[in-house]
Order: sequence, then structure tokens, then C-alpha cells
Amino acid sequence: MVEVTVDQLTRIEGHYRITTQVNEEGIVTEAQSMGLMLRGFERFLQNQDPRDAALLTQRICGVCPTSHSIAAANALDQLFGVEDAVPKDALVMRNIHQSLNLIASHATHIYVLWGPDLANPAYRTLLENYGDTGKAVWKELLGRFAPISYRLDGVNIPAGRGYIAALGEKRRLHEAISLFGAKMPHSVAAHVGGVTYGPTVADIGQLAAYYWKFMDFVENLALGVSPETWIENTRFASSPQKAVGFVVDRLQELVDASLVSNDFSYAAGWGDVPLYAAFGSELVGEEVLGLPVSMKLDRIGGYNDPSKIGYLVYGLFFKPELGDGYDPTCPPDSRVIPPGFLNGNLEFQKFDHSKITESIAHSFYVDSESDRYPFEGTTQPEPEPDEIEYSRGVESRYSWIKAPHYDGIPCEVGPLSRMLVMKDPLITGLADLFREKGYPVTNTYLRMLARMQEILVVSSELIKWLAEDLNPNGTFAVPTDLSMAKDSEGMGLWEAPRGALGHWIKTGPNSKVTLYQAVVPSTWNLAPRNSAGVPGPVEQALLGSKISAAGNALGVDYTNPLSILHTSRSYDPCLACAIHAIDLKGQQKGQFRVV
Amino acid sequence: MIGERNLDRFKNLDFMKMDRRTFLKAVGALGASLFLQTYRGDIVQALEFAETRIVWVHGGECTGCSISLLNGGEPDVLQAFSRLNLRLAYHEVLLGQQGIYVDGKMEGTSELNSEILFEEVIAEKGYILVAEGAIANGPKGTGKYCFLGGKTYKEIFRRAAENAAFIVAVGQCATNGGVNAADSEIRDLMDFRGVAFTMEDRDRGILTGYGLEKPVININGCPPHPDWMLLTLAAVVLGKIKVPDDLPYVLDKWLRPKVFFPPDHVIHDNCPRRGYYDKGEFDTMVSGPKCLWKLGCKAPYTHADCAIRRWNGYHSLCPQSGSPCISCVSPGFPDSSRPFFQEIEDVGIVGTNIDTVAKVAIGASLLAAGAHAIRRTAIKDKHEGKDEKPEEKLEEKLEEKPEEKPEEKLEEKLEEKPEEKPEEKSEDAKKDQGEE
Ligand code: SF4
Ligand code: SF4
Repeated sequence: MVEVTVDQLTRIEGHYRITTQVNEEGIVTEAQSMGLMLRGFERFLQNQDPRDAALLTQRICGVCPTSHSIAAANALDQLFGVEDAVPKDALVMRNIHQSLNLIASHATHIYVLWGPDLANPAYRTLLENYGDTGKAVWKELLGRFAPISYRLDGVNIPAGRGYIAALGEKRRLHEAISLFGAKMPHSVAAHVGGVTYGPTVADIGQLAAYYWKFMDFVENLALGVSPETWIENTRFASSPQKAVGFVVDRLQELVDASLVSNDFSYAAGWGDVPLYAAFGSELVGEEVLGLPVSMKLDRIGGYNDPSKIGYLVYGLFFKPELGDGYDPTCPPDSRVIPPGFLNGNLEFQKFDHSKITESIAHSFYVDSESDRYPFEGTTQPEPEPDEIEYSRGVESRYSWIKAPHYDGIPCEVGPLSRMLVMKDPLITGLADLFREKGYPVTNTYLRMLARMQEILVVSSELIKWLAEDLNPNGTFAVPTDLSMAKDSEGMGLWEAPRGALGHWIKTGPNSKVTLYQAVVPSTWNLAPRNSAGVPGPVEQALLGSKISAAGNALGVDYTNPLSILHTSRSYDPCLACAIHAIDLKGQQKGQFRVV
Repeated sequence: MIGERNLDRFKNLDFMKMDRRTFLKAVGALGASLFLQTYRGDIVQALEFAETRIVWVHGGECTGCSISLLNGGEPDVLQAFSRLNLRLAYHEVLLGQQGIYVDGKMEGTSELNSEILFEEVIAEKGYILVAEGAIANGPKGTGKYCFLGGKTYKEIFRRAAENAAFIVAVGQCATNGGVNAADSEIRDLMDFRGVAFTMEDRDRGILTGYGLEKPVININGCPPHPDWMLLTLAAVVLGKIKVPDDLPYVLDKWLRPKVFFPPDHVIHDNCPRRGYYDKGEFDTMVSGPKCLWKLGCKAPYTHADCAIRRWNGYHSLCPQSGSPCISCVSPGFPDSSRPFFQEIEDVGIVGTNIDTVAKVAIGASLLAAGAHAIRRTAIKDKHEGKDEKPEEKLEEKLEEKPEEKPEEKLEEKLEEKPEEKPEEKSEDAKKDQGEE
């Protein structure tokens, strides 16, 4: 048995370690997910003006600040008792704000954080075994996904075209946000009772211009076909089979032409999504399309035991057709991307927020009870330096992240869960196909494809909000007064790019905060073992993976555990969000925690 | 857009002969994009020397500063880096490498393993260390609340700092502790530190703790504007700011470049809602078009060029988008700005540290910003039957420290004082109180 540790796992937000035990065949037999930092600024809202929360809590995360500010604003709506009065146009603005951040965050993840692993030298070695075709594909991977300051064999490699383009798009999308949110990261706009700024007709025109510019990128670099065609034939396909059929047909055309020409360039129609869709998967690439080689990302990152995993979605984006106000408990069909829970066999259940609990059995906290409903917990960070040890094995406490569950089950949250709960035909159809052919139903390949698909799905909604739903002469806030927040509580359920996000707040008689809590997506995904010893989602997803490139096709290389990198990064980890916060025992004045 | 307006003044100058003051004017007037465009040829010439290495480390932070940096440059930050001959030698969020340990040993080469890369890079010395994020000192001085690659960040940062030519701290977390160091019951347990300061306290900067003396430039902001970061690096790399010799002249007492955090300018001076302020028309709920003073705007005493430069594509700034400035560039942020949504008079202006110079300073800033308008406001309020008298309050504040003459301060312009001496500067600094 060999211990392979990735520390730090870079190209994520924050400080994170994965330790695995790997057997002689190069297969992971045990994995530990460890958050290495206590951030703990969470307590500072206590006894403060609750309205500060939307601006302050977004400082938890510079990558998805918008999600936190809107989750906080949602919680404040209920706290101030105005959730059923927030004007429709303010809700549409929250949708627009969130969708721009979500798209920017996904594009950054796909190209800048996750993508560079496609330019890992192991793929060069692998692809060189496949003649001119292999060489041509490697040229594309390196030419598109090489990160900044990249070196191979002592030679400086210029940053990839896709990588550079995605940075430009992220920047543009942030500029779009600043039209109404002042700046990004840490934009303004989200506020109790609405938003701080009502856009003018000129702003809407400019937003649309940014949107179409981004869609140019999607068409020319990412997809190679028009986004409208893609969406019509995938998201709005009449069946999952049709959606998969559309993509496979499109890929087959490209493959047939390029296996002859050995031209896999953008010009030949190989957008980044088709390139990934074909070469990322053994089933799609090798079995269906007849490619000689693939990265086999559909063989890794799945869950072995469906009874120990679920997929959770709180729901995202208000439905403009429902008019002013909204139900903070997220009943079925109340959001554009609907709330729901899928068990390990992808069977749907109605979402019920009261089923959330969290365990600290393997986390560096001190509490008399190890499992609690988040709203009730008081936990204390381990104050003794000697107790903070990361190498005492799976029985010990080993992370600053807590282990939340839904109905007792660890859950994956994020784009894959959302696309499955939404029954997106393409992603659902592929999951069915994987099941049918004996592959993990969900896997690293599908997780990334779901993120790409979500960009398309959300973009097609965004333009509708801009062009049809948003009324620049509408109302953008209802008046609120601090006295409305006396002895009250509020819950803000929302979705960050990385998954389900909830903020909870309580106030006392002087309207000051007595409890604040956020349960964030990366806590779900990166959780350590719970009190029953059940590993968290990433820990489960690494089990059974062959650690090196393409299913150990080149043999086992412990020094380049590419599968571990692909899978753990596919969750888009955000440690700043995941790292827990705290409440000191015995000091019951109030609490503000980030789980 | 500011750049366009001012471009003519600068574009015909000979960059190579430009002195520091003119250079700083250009930097202040032009955004990073225009700056780099305008002087493209000159910069290429100036940079015919070895590349400058940047080592960028992350402590307790949200990565917002890195994300903000990626919004800078022309046409993008990668181009800006290459034009300035900067090499990002280490950056955990952007580089290809990651730390890999096999049975506890670092394995592979620096092309794949970031831990080996880090060792190689700091052994080379002489790089610019960019610090993002606060340094965890807790629990009990061990730094164990932030751990990476099997070491504490406190230790990693010390080693990186020792071998650096100098340090650029970016963002409030690194400059002053920021949100990590905000007041709470667990603040002391966590014990997060900034590089040279923790909040307003220089003695509690982590460098003091290490007993290490290194030149530090603070680029405040939560996050900082990408121009502030890029243009500071450009100024240093191009030899227009010599470290450490020029630092006493170009930095304020919080070690912030005065060109971006002008002692004689507050955001409120150029706010697009300023017309409403002058007319005494204030919004009392969000989403309106008027001045946000009554919603808690802190811009009248915030020294930064947000309103001139504007953010993300040079579009906007917080008050323009209807949200009060929360003075995210001030050393005491966020504590010195809370509560965000209450009018300053309601809460005794800054909440903390208002007892001494600050009051005067704020008064001075207000005066600079439009005491005239306040007077009118007061009259208007009286007309409306309100009994607030901001005018009197202002005068009180000024009376408390009669020896300080805000009017003088107004007339002082950074660029017009070429011969200023460090001693004079510290006088300046005393007057540049805004954030105390
Ligand atoms: S107080 Fe704020 S909103 Fe009003 S004019 Fe000054 S900067 Fe603008
Ligand atoms: S306007 Fe104020 S709060 Fe906004 S970025 Fe500038 S200093 Fe920070």
C-alpha cells in the first residue's frame, strides 16, 4: 500500500489536502478529504445590524460572492417580513446578477482551474502512442488548456487559447455585473427587500451587448455550433435519447472527418465541448464514436454504494411569472432550476429543509453532541494546537469541514445535481446510458459536462429575463426599517455555482443579530466522514479509481495521480466557503457560523 | 472615461525621461489598460533586462484579490504581465502544479509538483512577494489554524518573506487583517494578522512578530482595483518607484500608494450622485437615484480613486450602483465602517477611534467635500421641520483641533510637492487621517 497525498490541491479556492491509500494495482482503497484552515470571521455579525449581512457574508468567497450576498438578502427578506412583497423586477435582477456570476464562475472553473489538467504531460505520453491522430489531439489540448507560467521539459509553454479566452470572458461578465453591482468581486446590489439599483434602458442594452459577446465565445470556441441549436436539441429535446443522439451525431460527423484529416482544431469544428465530450469518455469516445483512445473520465469519480449518497438541490432563480414575492421554503417547482433530492439511484424526493443535519465527529470542533440540525448547533474550534493533527488516520478528527447530510445521507451538490434534478435531457440521458453500459451512473466526465451544459441552460434563461421580464420602469425595492427585524428569523435558500447554499439568521428584541449561519456547497461535497463513519462525497468518489492517466494505461505513476486531480477538482472545491465557523461554548450571546 | 479625457496630456511625453511625479500623474490618470497601451513601445525598451519574478502566496482569504487581478490589464492580465516582463513564478490558484507526496516524500519535479517549485523559487531569492490573505497566528501563536503542504502558513510566509526583495500586500486581509480580524468573541483565539499592520496596529503586523524588516507596499481594498495592483507593480518594475528609497515619498502612513489613495481626495468629491448631495436631496431607501448619505455612505472620508477610476471596465463604483461606500480601503475595515447602512451622525461617525484626530479629519473631508452643501442641507432640513444641524457638528469637530488647518491640506497636491521630505511626509500623514 502506498500513501499518495495531494497537498495542496492547487487551482481551487483555499487550502485543501487529499490523502489516499493506493494498492499495488494503482487503485485507491481509502481517501480522506481535509480542509486545512479555520477562517472563522463568521462570528462578527453577532450583535450587529443584520442589514450588513449581504455585503459582509459575500466576503466569505471571492469566486462566488454574489451567491452569498443573495442568499443573505433572501434570509433578510424573511427576517424583515417582506419576502412576499419583494418586487418582481428586483427578483429578476437577483436572477440576472446570479446568472452572470454563475456563468463567469463556471467558465473560470472549466478553463482556468480544471482545464489545465488536460494539458498534463501524462496525456502527451499517452497520445503519442496513437500516431498522428494522437499528436494532433495533444497539440489541441496543450494549445487550449496550458495555464500561465507552464513549463514542460524546461520549455516555456504559452497559455492556451481557451484559457486566455475564458479569462477574457470572465472579465467581461464581471464588467456586466458592475453595470448594476458597481464592482466584482464583492459587488453591491443585493439588499433586503430588493436590490439597490434599478437598471436603465441603456444598462439593459449594454448588458445584452455583453451577453451576445459571451455567446460569440460559446459558439466559436466552446461549442462549435450555435448555442440556440445546442439548447433546442439538448435542453428542449423531446427525450433524453434524442438529446444524447443529437450530441453523438454531431460528434460522429466531426470524428469521421478528423480521423482522416487529423485536424482537431477549432476551425475544423472542434469546439472545446465537443473535444472534451469525445475524448473525455471511454463509453462515448471509444465505444460509441470509435476513437482509438480516450481519457476514461467516465470510469472515475462515481459512487460505489448508492445507499450512501444523494444529490441535493435547494432550487435556483425566481420565476418571474409568479410575480412579486416568493416562498422562502422552496416548495416544488417554485424555482427555475427546481429544488429536490435524488437518492443514489436517482429517484426523486421532494426537498424538505428540516432534513438537514451536520456531523462534527471527524472535524476539529468540540461539542457535546456530534449531530445537529444546523439551526441548533453550537460548536467550538479546537483551541489546543496538539489536537490539530492531519495524519492520524480516518478514525481521528482530520478536517475543519463539517459533514452535513440530508436525511442522514451525504450529498453531492452543484451543477450535476441541478441538471439531474431538473431532468436536463442531455445529462439525464447520458446518466441512463452509463448505467445501462455498466459505467458509474454519475462520474467525473458527467460532472464536468453538466457544468458546461448548465452554462447553456442558464444563458438561455438570462436573455429572457433581460429582454422580456425586466421592466426598467418597475419597482426594485420595498421600504424596510430596522424595527421590522425585531425578534425575528429568516432563512435564505439559494444555489451557488458550486451547489446548494443556505443562510439562516435570528435577531433579538433590539433587531441585532443573535445567530447567523451559512451552510455552503463545498461543505457538502468535501465533507469528511460522519459520525457513522460514512465518507463524504469526494472521499467516496475517489474510492476504486485508478490513480494515473486513462485508467493506468501507462502503468501506475504515484507521482502524477491524475485521476485524483481530475475528480477532486471536478467538484470545483471552495475552501473559503467550506471552512467552518464557530461559536464559543458558554458564550451564548449569539452565533454566526459558516458550515 | 477618465483615461480618454486625460490621455492627450500624457501621450506625447517621453516616457523614459519622465520623472517620478509625472509618471505617477500618468498612472493616476490612465487606467492600467490605457497606460500599458500608451507606453507600449517605451515599456518594451525599458524592460530589456531580466524578468521580474512574482511569488504570490495565499493565507486566510477568499481569493477575491486574485480574481480582481484577473480583471485587469490590456487586453488581458497575461499580456500585461508579459509586457512588463513579469513572471508569475508561484501562485496556488493559477499554476499548473500541485503538491504531491508519496509516502510522505515530495515527489517529481517542479514542473508538476508545486511544493518543489516553491522551494526552488524561494531559494532563488530577489522576487517580489505578493501576499494575499491574513496570516493565522492562532491557536496560541502556533499558526495551526492555516496549514498547507504539511506546514503552517505562518512559517511558509516567513520563509517567503525572508528571501523576498520586498512585499506587496494586496487586499484588506493581507494589509490589515480585514474581515478575518473583525471584532468577535473568537478573534483573539484565531489571531489573524496582516503583513505590516493588524487593523490599525503596526506592532501587531506579522513582520513585527517575525522580527523581520522588509519594505512593504499595501494595496488596500476588499478587493483592490486591478489597476492599483498592476500599476504599482509596473511602477516598480519600470524603475519609477525605487524600493525602498522612494517609498517614504510615494506611500501614505498606511503604506498605501498615495496616487491611488490620495490624501487630498475623497471618493465623495467625484461621486456621480454628488449633485443630489449638493442640493441636499437624500435617498432614505435603496434603489433610488439620490445621495446615499442617509443610508450610511462612508465615501466622504474615504481616500481612494474609485470615483475617478471606477471599477470593472471603468463603469461604476458602489454609490453609483445605489449602495453606500463601506470604505473597504480603510485600515479598520470592516469594524470602522459598521453599521454600513446607518447615517454617520447617527453612530458617531466611525464607531471606533473617533475620539481624536479622526473627527477633525472627517470634518475636514466634509468641508473639502462640500461644507457649503451641508449648510444648505441643514437649512433645507430645517425647512422640512427637522432639527438636525450637521453644520454645527462639523464646526464642533473642527474646533476640537484648531491647530489642524484642513484648508491647507486641500491645497497641497502630491505632485506639486516635489521636494517633500520624509519628515514633511509624516506631517502629511498626520493630516491624512481619514481612516484613523
Ligand atoms: S455621500 Fe456618498 S452617495 Fe452621497 S454624494 Fe457623497 S459619495 Fe455620493
Ligand atoms: S466605493 Fe468605497 S466600498 Fe466601494 S470599492 Fe471604493 S472604497 Fe470600497
